[in-house]
Amino acid sequence: MAHIHKSNWELIKNGIFAENTIFRMAISLCPSIAVTNSLKNGFSMGVSVIFVQVMVNLTVSLIRNFVNPKIRIPIFMMVIAGYVSIIDMTMAAFARPVYKQIGLYIQLIVAFASIFARAEVFAVKNKVVSSFSDGLGMGIGFLLAMIIISFFRELFGRGALWGFPIVSGNPLLIMVLPAGGFFAVGLLMGFFNWVDMKLAERKGTSVS
Amino acid sequence: MSLEDVHCKTEFSKGDAGAKMTAKDMLKITVNLVVIYIIGGLIIAFVYAKTSPIMFKKAEEEKKAALMTMIPEADKDGIQSIGKWEPHHKHAGYYVAKKGNEEIGYIIEGFGKGYSSYINVLVSVDKNFTVKKVSILHHAETPGLGDEIEKDYFLKRFENKSVDNLVVVKGETKDKVEAISGATISSRAVTEDAVRNGVKMLKEKLSIGVKDGSHS
Repeated sequence: MAHIHKSNWELIKNGIFAENTIFRMAISLCPSIAVTNSLKNGFSMGVSVIFVQVMVNLTVSLIRNFVNPKIRIPIFMMVIAGYVSIIDMTMAAFARPVYKQIGLYIQLIVAFASIFARAEVFAVKNKVVSSFSDGLGMGIGFLLAMIIISFFRELFGRGALWGFPIVSGNPLLIMVLPAGGFFAVGLLMGFFNWVDMKLAERKGTSVS
Repeated sequence: MSLEDVHCKTEFSKGDAGAKMTAKDMLKITVNLVVIYIIGGLIIAFVYAKTSPIMFKKAEEEKKAALMTMIPEADKDGIQSIGKWEPHHKHAGYYVAKKGNEEIGYIIEGFGKGYSSYINVLVSVDKNFTVKKVSILHHAETPGLGDEIEKDYFLKRFENKSVDNLVVVKGETKDKVEAISGATISSRAVTEDAVRNGVKMLKEKLSIGVKDGSHS
């Protein structure tokens, strides 16, 4: 897969819809379950991932002509670990309340399949602006997934959103526990697949 | 020996279509890798140098603010560290609270082994080692069950308790500490482990008898 001839706008849309990390590619699911127990956490994680994804794509694309293919994996690791360290330290210094909740998970971004995959599949073979757009699309798609999942989990599991109580009454506690995370992601994935099916039917094309 | 030869031959025959790596290639790759890692390391070190002083300063301020809320009557700079201890092999400190020249109480940081985490607490006591306030600094107990330890209704149960009464009881009780239903382990971790051991430790360290003559 050499140059991908898509416009930048198409690349961004691709990352949000067609190749959405969580709901389509089903990779980097760990944070989609661990950090989505509240809207604030899910949102903060999503924003951090956008930063890392975009910067990694940019950097890898910038140095792609100086990277010997034989050692591209340790080089990707250095770039990813570098940006994760930067955002980890910045958050610890300037966004402490959020950092207390999700600091542990920020450090795990180094192991995200999605960031590594985009570097390997796209950034190392494409121009800087395209790689930027691809990273941005993937990051935004991830953020939207986080927001949607956290929205439902916090609303049903705690009766609140962003810490503010919304509904009273006994919440469905399981939604903020890991099992609930699995349920939420699975149900939402099924929902989006169903939506796709319906859209394709209306257009008259078949879907795989 | 011959078996090793076979292995070596197999290794070399894999790879880019028979192209062997010359020493020059290996040198180029090594330099490539070292340069990138040095640059990356320098960038990380730079960001660390800029952000870590801010981070440490903020952590200190947060700790100070937390301590101030434990004994509000104390002077603004009246809370001083008087020692360190290691409950469950974790670093914790204890402090004296002063108002003017008078010592009006103590604050102890403690740790208790909870259901799914070590629970970090602050306990303030008066001069008779009666508990005034307990607050939870950090925990990772079960949401909806163990995490009720953060709630006021539970923390109020510690007010005016002496060491002997820092015992968890299921169901209503007047002088002991009532457990959170469905979270006995977390309740015990806070009451009998973190708080009680902290107060006991301070009593021993200071070796001061209780003013009204009763003893633990």
